[in-house]
Amino acid sequence: MSTLLRARPVLHRRQLMLGAASLGAALATGIGRARAADTGITLQASWVNDAEFLGYFVAIDKGFYKSAGVGVTFLSGGPDVIPESSLLSGKANIALTTPDTTIEAIVKQGAGLKIIGTQFQKSPLAIISLASKPINTPQDLIGKTLAVPPVNEIMIKAFLKINKIDPSAVRIVPYAFDPTPLIKGEIDGTVDFATDVPYTVELSGKKAVSMLLYDYGVTLYNDTLVATDEVIKNNRQGVVNFLAASRLGWQENFKDTAVYPNAYKDTWFKGTGRATSNDLFSNNTEKPLIESPQGIFSMTEEGIQKNIDYLKLAGIPATREMFDTTLLAEVK
Amino acid sequence: MQRLARLGIFLAVWEAIGRWQLIGSGALPPPSAILVQFWADRAVYPAHVWATFWPAGIGFLIGDAAAILLAIAFVLVPVLERLLRGFNIAIFAIPPITLSPLLVVAFQGTTPQIVLAAVTVYFPTMIATLIGLREIDPRFADIIRAYGGGTFTILWRVRLRAALPSIMTGLRIAAPSAVLGAILAEFGSGSRWGLGSFLLGSMGQANPARLWGIGLCATALAACGYLVFSLLGALAAPGTAATTMAIRRDPAAEGGKTQGPLVVRLALMLASFLMPFLLWQGVLDLLQISPVIARGPLGVWRVLVTGFDAADERAALVAALEQSVPVSILGMAIGIGGAFVLALVTVVRPAVGRALMPPSLLLQTMPLVALTPLVVLVLGRGLTATLTIVFAVTFFPAFLVMAQGMANTPRAARDVIQVYGGGALQQIWLVGLPSSIPYLFAAARLVAPSALLGVITAEWLATGYGLGNLLNEARGELDYGMIWAVAFASVAVSVIFYLLVQAAETLINRRFFG
Repeated sequence: MSTLLRARPVLHRRQLMLGAASLGAALATGIGRARAADTGITLQASWVNDAEFLGYFVAIDKGFYKSAGVGVTFLSGGPDVIPESSLLSGKANIALTTPDTTIEAIVKQGAGLKIIGTQFQKSPLAIISLASKPINTPQDLIGKTLAVPPVNEIMIKAFLKINKIDPSAVRIVPYAFDPTPLIKGEIDGTVDFATDVPYTVELSGKKAVSMLLYDYGVTLYNDTLVATDEVIKNNRQGVVNFLAASRLGWQENFKDTAVYPNAYKDTWFKGTGRATSNDLFSNNTEKPLIESPQGIFSMTEEGIQKNIDYLKLAGIPATREMFDTTLLAEVK
Repeated sequence: MQRLARLGIFLAVWEAIGRWQLIGSGALPPPSAILVQFWADRAVYPAHVWATFWPAGIGFLIGDAAAILLAIAFVLVPVLERLLRGFNIAIFAIPPITLSPLLVVAFQGTTPQIVLAAVTVYFPTMIATLIGLREIDPRFADIIRAYGGGTFTILWRVRLRAALPSIMTGLRIAAPSAVLGAILAEFGSGSRWGLGSFLLGSMGQANPARLWGIGLCATALAACGYLVFSLLGALAAPGTAATTMAIRRDPAAEGGKTQGPLVVRLALMLASFLMPFLLWQGVLDLLQISPVIARGPLGVWRVLVTGFDAADERAALVAALEQSVPVSILGMAIGIGGAFVLALVTVVRPAVGRALMPPSLLLQTMPLVALTPLVVLVLGRGLTATLTIVFAVTFFPAFLVMAQGMANTPRAARDVIQVYGGGALQQIWLVGLPSSIPYLFAAARLVAPSALLGVITAEWLATGYGLGNLLNEARGELDYGMIWAVAFASVAVSVIFYLLVQAAETLINRRFFG
């Protein structure tokens, strides 16, 4: 186990000392200041350690990165973590993001970022409802109450517009990634990952159905791999090798989706409080959304155009230049 | 025995409420279910507790060391205290949640937790140490001087010893704050371990029993810190341990009393005002924070005043303030008002005070702001949830300050009224009320920043309004200028409130007690 590759507190780099007491600055010089490793890749994930990142865990533990000659540090994400912020602060040089927030960061903040690949060919974002009161098509939403995370509100409004549904016909309430109200029947649907929430719902004895937003006009990738212009310029080969080894990791994981959720329950997944059966469910449902005939991570011209088309509808001026397919093209 | 019986009844009622899902259709699980879940999770708790405890501990040490050293410096060089007065108030007024997003992008590992814990412990320890160092029996100092001792001998032989109980009181308040600071810095940090990370990560699992287990565990951790320093305080000063600290004394009115020519006083005031800004810029330069994230005072000025979209940014900030500030004031008014009424009751019914004091002390240590997810679970995402959080974070400290102050009312004063045939209401009106006014102000000053902190945290995690929501949106849009602007505006609001209360306090004190 290459524990060195793990994300761990940089104790050795932190010097704690009292600042000039006379100035009252108890802060010290250079306390663990955020900086990605100069030569390697630091990957900022978008969520807590779960099946969504199995490919990278496998690549680390099986030594795929090592054989490819690239050092990788993995930073976990979580609720309220903004992966792009780790790129801007220099904490990481590659992050897993949602394309809409990344492109907004490029447009609004002038962030020097490029989308160099995508983990999900189809975003797993879905409207999840109970089978006893199913939402199978956008039209089923009329007259229903839908819980939407604040970050996805613009997306849902665009979704309703694309599907020609009067926004006032759907009652939208804030959602904080807790499916309890859905199980209790207080709301009719939630916007969340189809690869995760149905499991939690079904654990309570109810059947869940999911309707992928992708299938109804929200043609977005998800967990897009975003790199800083800096790392692409200074360590292009490292990024290419990272993509190659990560692809191997995912391929290895998908050979048998039951293997790694079990293998990592006491290492990578420890402490999340998630059941192993939950990660098994996720790994199975993610497989068809991640695999691609062109190879994992690949972005076809058609796929990119679909993203751009949707983003334009949502008022985000995406362009082809924000997607860089040349690095994946160098993967042998 | 009676207390055990009370606890038993409390648990039985809770169990019944949980069993029959009387609150929020199962949002409040029965204690037995929480215990079962806690047992099932026992393997992961130690690592989570440790990941919150040790940065909280390191931050506690750093912040308190700085606080004690500076308090000593203030006693030795009173003008220093005048100079740093603005800095002290600003540190006190910072709602930690507004620093958290900046710290988690600027630093990695546990550094954000350590810094936030240090920031939250600084003020209570500094002020308690200062009071302790100053309030010495002057006769001891006279003896030292008579034997040829100087300032340092007095400091070492008299002041520090006399200050020990007071320092312990400060540390006792600081210890739970350190836990709160460490947990708040876990929000949005993506760290795998820590009670805050565990709490947020567990929100999506439809498992209220686990959320409650984490919340109770965090409370126990904070309460332990409180109890340890209570015990040490009792050891340090046998027989003189006070129940809580009343931050009533104005640091300015104490040592560096306004003196000297007007020009010097004005210069000091100006310097004191500029100092927080200089230190702010200084820390950024010293730590060489990436310019993408860092904004100094001039940077925030650009965002809000001279930048190309300053008008939009300003409008967004003002709109957010208009949502958050009234809620903070309302919640605080309810909290302090309730505490005030209850404290008045304790004047005539001391038994009520004795019964309420221990639970209030414990509940005060609860890192409630960090447990917002629990409140949301029970009360939903409306105004009620926000007001409840603000009420809870303001009520207990306010009650403790006021009840303790009022307990000092001379018994003879009330006896006079009783002798003349006055009843309980008259006692309250003629004795309790006048003697409680100073404590009311002290409480208002003490809890104002917590009230704003409560509102912003609830807005961030649950309701999606006001400053908290703006902070969240700015994080999502990587708009660091706006994050700094929100942090600055929150501190400014707290400081303005602090100064207003202080001015009103001075005015009333002069009018009635001068």
